[in-house]
Amino acid sequence: MRPRLAAPVGAVFAALAFAATLWGWLLAGGGTVDLPWAPSWDLRFTLALDGLAALYSLLATGIGFAVTVYASRYLPLHLEHQGRSEADIPRFHFFILMFMGSMVGLVMAQDLILIFVFWDLTAIASYYLIGYDAHERDSRRSALMALLVTGITAVCLLIGALMLYAAYGTFSLPALIEASEPGALLAAAGALIAVAGLAKSAQVPFQFWLPRAMAAPTPVSAYLHSAAMVAAGVFLLGRFYPLIQKTDWLLDALLVVGLGSMAVGGILALTRNVLKQLLAYSTISQYGYVVFMFGLGGEYGAVGASFYVIAHALAKAALFLTAGAVTEATHGETRLSHLGGLRRELPFLMVASGFSAAGLAALPLTIGFFKDELFFEAALERGGVFPALAVAGAVLTFAYTWRFWSGIFLGERRSEAHGVPAAMTVPVAALGALVIAGGLYVAPFARLAQAAGEVTFNAPTPIDPAYHLDARAENLMALATYALGVLVILSRSFWIGAAEAFARLGELAGPERLYFASLKGLNAFSDRIHDLEVRDLRTRVATILGPTGVLVGAGLLFTPTRGAYEVGAIGPLDWPLFLALILVAVAAIATVFPRRHLTLALVLSSVGYILAVVFAFFGGPDVAMVQVLVETIMALLFIGILVLLPRKVLEREASNPIPRRRKVRDAGVALIAGFFAFAVSWSTLSQPALEESVAQEHIRLAPEAHAKDVVTAILADFRGLDTLGEITVVGIALLGIATLLSRGRLW
Amino acid sequence: MKTSVMTRVVARVLLVPALVVALAILIKGYADTGDGFNAGVIAALGMLLQYVAFGYEEAERMMPVRLVAVIAFGGLLLSLAVALLPLFWGLAIFTHVPGPGEEVIHLGTVELITPVVFDIGVFMLVFGFAVGAIDLLARAIHRRET
Repeated sequence: MRPRLAAPVGAVFAALAFAATLWGWLLAGGGTVDLPWAPSWDLRFTLALDGLAALYSLLATGIGFAVTVYASRYLPLHLEHQGRSEADIPRFHFFILMFMGSMVGLVMAQDLILIFVFWDLTAIASYYLIGYDAHERDSRRSALMALLVTGITAVCLLIGALMLYAAYGTFSLPALIEASEPGALLAAAGALIAVAGLAKSAQVPFQFWLPRAMAAPTPVSAYLHSAAMVAAGVFLLGRFYPLIQKTDWLLDALLVVGLGSMAVGGILALTRNVLKQLLAYSTISQYGYVVFMFGLGGEYGAVGASFYVIAHALAKAALFLTAGAVTEATHGETRLSHLGGLRRELPFLMVASGFSAAGLAALPLTIGFFKDELFFEAALERGGVFPALAVAGAVLTFAYTWRFWSGIFLGERRSEAHGVPAAMTVPVAALGALVIAGGLYVAPFARLAQAAGEVTFNAPTPIDPAYHLDARAENLMALATYALGVLVILSRSFWIGAAEAFARLGELAGPERLYFASLKGLNAFSDRIHDLEVRDLRTRVATILGPTGVLVGAGLLFTPTRGAYEVGAIGPLDWPLFLALILVAVAAIATVFPRRHLTLALVLSSVGYILAVVFAFFGGPDVAMVQVLVETIMALLFIGILVLLPRKVLEREASNPIPRRRKVRDAGVALIAGFFAFAVSWSTLSQPALEESVAQEHIRLAPEAHAKDVVTAILADFRGLDTLGEITVVGIALLGIATLLSRGRLW
Repeated sequence: MKTSVMTRVVARVLLVPALVVALAILIKGYADTGDGFNAGVIAALGMLLQYVAFGYEEAERMMPVRLVAVIAFGGLLLSLAVALLPLFWGLAIFTHVPGPGEEVIHLGTVELITPVVFDIGVFMLVFGFAVGAIDLLARAIHRRET
């Protein structure tokens, strides 16, 4: 297989998936697949192509297609710069396709557990994609951060799902939407699910992982931000919105989080110098709008959020791809302060990305105009201070979008540049064309958003965005946005100090600090435990025996043991057994004294041999035989290992006196554990035997299993599962020995 | 270090009886004391004797030691198959054939039932494990000494 083939294969798959989704939605009119998955656990494999699913899968596959086409040229160049071989190309396309597949699965899933599974699959795919440049430490750390933040909060989603299941007895989302009633439980479950969604969408206070994730190659960032990972977060909110909106305070919380993200993302985007960082913060703020609209509620909020996701995805993907192309054209320049004036070198890219930038800034004749129209309408419907806050947010968007685009293409030239391959500009142009097409003829996009809004709102949402050439409030707000936006751009020198102070405050006291502190604390804690437990063999045995003895002792002391601890009579037939047991005890005590390792091994095995005699007395020939055989082979392996160890080490260990403190500790632990083991055995044996024990059942059933030997029947039949587990361990142990002694080569 | 002629002769002479005893214990496991585990250890002890008496290079020349990895993991797979195959017929795992009360085909004292196959898997694994561990140790010791 040639690595370069991966790109066309990936692109064809993405295109086919896009076509299939489009066909399924437009011509087949949706549909449902419903299979029993694990019926005994009430799990069903339910996928449905409803409006919401159609919107997000079209985005995932469509933008996925654009990204794979772009990556077909970008990735070889990227690898070449880093001096890596082309063999890494298929990995990228594999994970992008996996990402796409899990995203499509996620948006269609109707079963809570299925949603959770796909949810985590997207996190796994994103982990590998963000950490694609795995040789860079920064890249690995960012990937881990994204995985941890989204993975830990994913557990909230699972908990929420299980709470709902416990209350209503079903994992099916449509059934839950019908059955659930407002209350503390629904609020708690809804809040947990919302936390998972907000963390994935990088909303305040989880926003810190997203800018770090910029360590990923540019196509990954583009995909992550516009159509997959981050979009999955707001998708989850949309999917569970019928449950969430039953609790008023949850909606208010969404309002606060959305506003916070708009502010943090917008202000920081105005201060960032690195292109992709600027875009990352802009994504945080853009999804802040979506969350804000969910919080506003109402049909405008539901449809507006869906429409916003479409418009943002098209524009943001194009802008990311632009950033990647610009960096490529300028030999790796990523800083705005060193870019500028590229209008002559990259005229085509300038126009193409200009369309998308206009879309993001919500200029008329682009799809973005309608996203802001709906946004303003939703805010107006709610009234109060919200229209003013909405305008403020839109002004920030206008300002940083201008900063991005003008910083690259306008002004004086600050760096050398050459042209870029067509495969890297055509996707940008295609996305830009869609942005304009949506501005000229908005109906198809609006219909899709409406269908998605209906699912989200769980009721019909007859809303049609359109141009109105009159002095209605939305239009005035849009005009105010442009005017204030220009003002903000022109007055940069007045506020830049305050904005940068705000950014520094975030670095000093933001949630990222908490993340690193808790990671460090966990590491230190685990190091301490590791030190305590596995420093050497004696300590390890002590850490197991000590707590076990104490727990067993506690159990014994708190259990009412009436008539326990009886001393039975010793009959004439018991004497041989008694003597054998005394020998066992003597041999066991003798193991404490030998200094030489070989002697120790022999004394240890003598304990086992005498025990075998005891078993024989008890009429357990099978057990006695096993004991003898195991003891023999263990002793031989033990001696073999002693031969393997350097003689010097053994002699030094044998002559080194053990420190007094260690001796006291070991003796104390041994005494505690031994005493309570003795007490428990004694008290157990003092109880009268049960009338009907499992052993008798086994003996009774043995003939039915065609066995004359009960022990073998137990091993191979009655308790076969235990045996299976044990022999698997034996197999793994063999692999372990091979790993230790011959680097994993068995033969 | 060379072992005495006596040791070598005894070791050689004991190999076949050890294997025969192991085989007997294995196939008669359902009728009498012992099972696959015991049989595996006994057979392995017979092999171990060769290592002690002849050293690992000669022991390897004498016996197909290279196969023990295949034997061990083949045995594990065999046992897993016996345990899990009933799932394909919609039965619980470890459903043995023939079932309770059904007729069993006898070959002398040997019963042809699936638990015996499971036991053979256990035998192969235990045998492979013990011989494999010994061989790995012997090689490691040899490497250290040279």
